[in-house]
Amino acid sequence: MHTDLEHEQSVARRLRALPHDNAHPYGWEEFRRRCEPRPTLTGRLASGRALAATVVVAVAACALAIRVGGPAHHPRAAPGQMQYGVARHEPAPPPADETPAERYLASLPREPAVVHVGTRAAVETLEDDIAQVDDLVSAASAAGSAPPASLQALLDERTQLVSSLVQVRYAESLAYASR
Amino acid sequence: MARLVDITVPDAVRVRACAGDAGARQVIYAAVAPATFTLIRRMISQRSAAEDVFQDTMMILFERLTEFRHEAPLGAWLRQIAISRCLMHLRSPWRRVRLALEGEALDELPAGNASVTAPLPPEIIDVERALASLAPTARAVLWMYEVEGYSHAEIAQAFGRSISFSKSQLARAHLKLRAWFEPQGHRPTCTLI
Repeated sequence: MHTDLEHEQSVARRLRALPHDNAHPYGWEEFRRRCEPRPTLTGRLASGRALAATVVVAVAACALAIRVGGPAHHPRAAPGQMQYGVARHEPAPPPADETPAERYLASLPREPAVVHVGTRAAVETLEDDIAQVDDLVSAASAAGSAPPASLQALLDERTQLVSSLVQVRYAESLAYASR
Repeated sequence: MARLVDITVPDAVRVRACAGDAGARQVIYAAVAPATFTLIRRMISQRSAAEDVFQDTMMILFERLTEFRHEAPLGAWLRQIAISRCLMHLRSPWRRVRLALEGEALDELPAGNASVTAPLPPEIIDVERALASLAPTARAVLWMYEVEGYSHAEIAQAFGRSISFSKSQLARAHLKLRAWFEPQGHRPTCTLI
């Protein structure tokens, strides 16, 4: 069993012994290629404009065709009948007894979506928060002028953070065991 | 085995590179790229993210080469840029969201890189793996303190945090590495996982 100092020296020695230039990136030509602005950007913009213009023309043509051809297919009706016809084309109203909650539930997919998220971000955030609280506790203890109540509040905060971290780690171990 | 901080380039090459000479820039790139990329891979284990940071770093190098004042070797100046870019990457909200959704690939080690010319000894691979097992922040603090020679005050300034933050991150990294290298002799407590 080494002491802490021996261990730290040993780790530092091992880290410094790692090669300093063994990871080779891409070559100069690839670097220059990545530096260049994307050559297709202008082309994309131009093709985007052309596409937009085509869509506008198509929509205008459709609107014109409907306006010109519409009365031929639908003979003009009396004002009363027209109102009736318009009402018939509206979507059917929801049943009167259906509540918003029921509509919301009906809109959900039948199978629930399960999303797996990693725990590293949560662990990292908690560890950072614990370190920050440690800073504050150290500063308050060193100053000696902090009221005991605020020091106790910091310690309580730290206990909660550590408890959260333990829960995340426990969940990790359960997930690992269930694989 | 050249450390990045020790790398220098002849003045004539640098002047030509400042003038936009592609050949001179290629010479500088060849001289500094492996050490720069290795440093970035030590701090960012994911290769694709490391390549993005590397590209940014090298682009900044050539954009700001005229501002280089010879107060230190070119490699030391470049190291500042690389570390600054790495820390910006580690702090970015985009990265944190991505980390939450995907986790970090721990098996992407420089030793497994196909472009490495010679196979590394097992003990070096073991150290690489131990380093990759640390949280990114703790790994960056450990590397900056133990290998690059930064002080706690400099690390705290780089991260925009307190000196105690740097010390606690370093202590946590050492504790975890100790558990890695001496698994039977030492077990971390649950408060310092």
